[in-house]
Amino acid sequence: MFLWRMLWYYLWVAPHVLLGAVLFLMVRRRLRRQFPMFFLYTIFEILQFGVLFGMGLAHLKLLSPYFHAYVVGLALSTAIRFGIIHELLRHFFWRYPTLDGPGRVLFRGAVLVLLLLAIGLSVVAPGKSANFLLNATYALDRTASVLQLGLLICLFYFSRYFVLSWRSPTFGIALGFGILAGVELATSAIWLHLGAFGNRLVNLFSMASYHCCVLTWICYLWAPEAEPPSSSTGLPENDLVTWNDEFRRLLPQ
Amino acid sequence: MTITITVVTIALLALLSLLWLAKGHASGSAVRENPARHLRSVDVEAFRNLIDPAEEDYLRRRLTPADFRKIQRERLRATAEYVSGAAHNAAILMSLADDARRSTDPATAGAAEKLIANAIQLRLYALQLVPRLYLEMVVPGARASSIGIAERYESITRQVVMLGIQYPAAGVSAAL
Repeated sequence: MFLWRMLWYYLWVAPHVLLGAVLFLMVRRRLRRQFPMFFLYTIFEILQFGVLFGMGLAHLKLLSPYFHAYVVGLALSTAIRFGIIHELLRHFFWRYPTLDGPGRVLFRGAVLVLLLLAIGLSVVAPGKSANFLLNATYALDRTASVLQLGLLICLFYFSRYFVLSWRSPTFGIALGFGILAGVELATSAIWLHLGAFGNRLVNLFSMASYHCCVLTWICYLWAPEAEPPSSSTGLPENDLVTWNDEFRRLLPQ
Repeated sequence: MTITITVVTIALLALLSLLWLAKGHASGSAVRENPARHLRSVDVEAFRNLIDPAEEDYLRRRLTPADFRKIQRERLRATAEYVSGAAHNAAILMSLADDARRSTDPATAGAAEKLIANAIQLRLYALQLVPRLYLEMVVPGARASSIGIAERYESITRQVVMLGIQYPAAGVSAAL
């Protein structure tokens, strides 16, 4: 029981302490301006943890103030996560301007399909709890998770098809949020089915996954960017110019 | 209960596919080390012949409708393979150019940037064209309603010609 409790507290506290390291790395590597939404998310998660942990220690966990604080935090956190996905897309479109138009069309289409899927899921499998707020919270969490996971899979598939190179932090952030969205989709579906606020085992799994996500972010924020090759490596300049001239000549006007 | 299990299974499968896609991101170095080995052969002349409307008219006149449909399906399958091959080669050229894009030499970086943009265009065309070709295989009459396909064929052909340009430094040209 003691070990279980220790594990519980470790998985609750450690990821948020490690988020402090994420903040430090972002400031040190000057990534704060490149990823403002992710920076905001990190700060928000630490603050949210502070509030919820304080309430938990004050034995308010079973009372409605804790639940209300949790719901408000979840809603804000979800909104910021959508902002982060938009930020990741913007990075790609900035690096590859050719994809800006078709990429936006593809992603708008993906949002529409995923939204229909999530709404369909809400209709087919509504919550079982008599508590409206609980049902609405988990149903919205599941809807958001479907959208986020779907969009991140699209992003990875998109970059794979078009052989787009990822910068190390972008890749790490996307991967971490992909894992988080996948786990949240599964856990929100279970919570909705159980119709109760939290479940010890599911919570533990969710917290352990979040810990892995934070470690992923730290690894990729820490990892140095690949050195640009010198002029003597890669494609010889003459070949590049020839290839491109041919491309330009051959592409339809 | 069934729906919950289905959603959890889908979530786990989606998670696995995400990790698989992410893993693919890290495995591009083998292609960069030996691009020629990964390139697919694209016979441009044969491809030109396949998309030539005159050739198609000739076959239509000479063959019975049943034979023509059979031959045309084979031709469309071959065309789809050529287009996929060209798109695959464009992807390899893109990964090579991506290294050059980060070059400290601005001229090389600029040229690589333009090459990447054009290769993306080619893959976009392929993305649109290949499903249409397969649709045409299943629904032969679909061709009449998609007038733009011939132009797309031509665009892809012209782009495929580009892929055959000599690139002795990386040993690419021999494989193209």
